[in-house]
Amino acid sequence: MRSLVSTELLRLRSTRSAWIPLAAALAIAVVAVIANTSMTGHDGGMHLSPAALPGLLRASGGQVIDGAVLLAWVVLSAGEFRYRTSVTTFLGEPNRLRVVSAKLLSAVLTGAAVGFLAEALSAATSAAALSAHHVPLAWSQPGVLGAVVTVPLLAALFGALGVGLGLLLRNTAAAVGLALMWAFVVEGIVPALTREPGIVRWLPEAAANAALHGASPAAALPVGVALTVLAGYAAALAGAGAALTARREIGTAIG
Amino acid sequence: MSTIAVEALTKRYRTVTAVDDLTFELTPGRITGFLGPNGAGKSTTIRLLLGLARPTSGRATINGRPYAELRDPLRHVGALLDPNVFHPGRPGRTALRIAARPARIPGQRVEEVLHLTGLGSAAHRRVGGYSQGMRQRLALAAALLGDPETLILDEPANGLDPEGVHWLRGLLRRLAAEGRTIFVSSHLLAELAQTVDDVVIINQGQLVAAGSMAELLEHAGASSLEDFFLGATSPDVRPAPPTAIRSRSLS
Repeated sequence: MRSLVSTELLRLRSTRSAWIPLAAALAIAVVAVIANTSMTGHDGGMHLSPAALPGLLRASGGQVIDGAVLLAWVVLSAGEFRYRTSVTTFLGEPNRLRVVSAKLLSAVLTGAAVGFLAEALSAATSAAALSAHHVPLAWSQPGVLGAVVTVPLLAALFGALGVGLGLLLRNTAAAVGLALMWAFVVEGIVPALTREPGIVRWLPEAAANAALHGASPAAALPVGVALTVLAGYAAALAGAGAALTARREIGTAIG
Repeated sequence: MSTIAVEALTKRYRTVTAVDDLTFELTPGRITGFLGPNGAGKSTTIRLLLGLARPTSGRATINGRPYAELRDPLRHVGALLDPNVFHPGRPGRTALRIAARPARIPGQRVEEVLHLTGLGSAAHRRVGGYSQGMRQRLALAAALLGDPETLILDEPANGLDPEGVHWLRGLLRRLAAEGRTIFVSSHLLAELAQTVDDVVIINQGQLVAAGSMAELLEHAGASSLEDFFLGATSPDVRPAPPTAIRSRSLS
C-alpha cells in the first residue's frame, strides 16, 4: 500500500491542474487574514480583539481549502479515465480496490496536510497582524484548538469526497460542475422542493458549515454530528466509486 | 519460461460477440503474431488476458494464472495496448516513474528503458509534445519496465517511422532470443512476416488458424503471410476454416 500511496502523491505533484488549486488556497488563507484584519474600523470590518483569533483561523482555512482539496482529487481521479492513465494504473496493480484505497488514503492525507498548513500559515499571519494592532494573542482560548483540528479534518473528508465523485463520474468537468451546483444551487432549493426546511442541515455543505463555524445558527447540527454526517457522505461516495471502478472495463474499444 | 493460454474464451457485449470460444496456447520463447481484420476481437482478447475486461466465459492465463492473480505483474508481463495512456502534462520520465512505482521498480531501470527506447534526450519533455512515434516508444518503455519474461504488444509499430520499425524488429528479435515470450498484434503483415515465428489468426472472434508460420504457409501453399491471411479470413472460408490449418495449441 505504501508504494501505491507514494504513486498517488507523485501523480498529485506532477499534475499542475491538481496542485495549483491547493497552492492558491494556501495563498488565499494568508490573504484572507490580511484582508480581515486590515478592514478593522471600516464598516462591516471585524473588531480586533483577542477573541477574533478563532474566527480568523476558521475563515482563512475553511471552505476555500475544502473546495481546493475536492477539486484536486476530482481532477486526479476523473483524470485517470479522461487521459486513459487508468490502463497503466490497473496493469501495475490489478486489484482495483487497493488502487481506490490508496487514492482515498492519499486524499485524506493530502487534505489533512493542506488543512494543517493553511492553519499554520493563517496562525502566523494572524499573530503578526494582531501584534501589529497591539492585540494580545490568546492561543488557549476556546475555539482556537477547534479550528486547528476541524479545518484539516474537513479538508481530509473533502479529499475523500473528491475521489468518490471523480471515480463515479469519470468526467472532470461534470464532477466539478456537479460539486458547484450542489454547493450553490441544490442545497438552496432542497428545502423549498421538499417543504422540509430542517432537512438542509443534513446536507453536505450545511454540515461542513456547521462543523467549521460551530452550531451558532440554531438549526445547525452540533460539530461532532456534522462531521459524522460528512464522513457518511464521503464513505457513501467513495464506496460507490470503488464499486463502479471494480466492475468497469478499462479501454473499451472492440477489435 | 512463460506461457499464455486462452481456453474457450468468450466475451459478449449485449448483442455483439467480440470473442467467441477462443482457444490457443503460445509456445514459450517465441514471437507469435496475433492477426485478424478490424473488429476481429484482437484488442478485446488482449484486454481479457490483461484483466482489463472480464470474460463472459472461459479463461485467459499467463503462467497458469489470470493476470489479476499474478504477484507483481509488471515483473512478469509487459503490455503495450495504446500509446495514448499517459497524462499529456507530465514529462516522459515522470510518466514512467508513476508506472514503475507500484512494482517498486527503481529509477535506474526507468533511465535504462528510456535509453533503450531512444527517449533519453526527450525524457524531460511533456508527453503532450511527443509525436505519435515517441508516444509509442514511451508505451514500449513502460512495457519493458519490469524486465518481463512475457510481452503483449497491440500494434507496436503504429506511428513508428521506417527506422523505428526496423529498430522495433531488432528489439523484438533480441528479446525473443533471450527466451521471452512475445505476443504481438499487428495489421502490418509484411512487417510481421519478418518478425514472427508463429501466428494466431482470428476472425469475428473465432480462431481461424494457429501454428508455426512456416508450416501454415507450406500446408496452405501460400506464397506469403498476406496471401495466407486473406485466404484464411475471407468470408468464403468462415465459419468453417480448413481443419488442416486449425490448431488449438502452438506448443
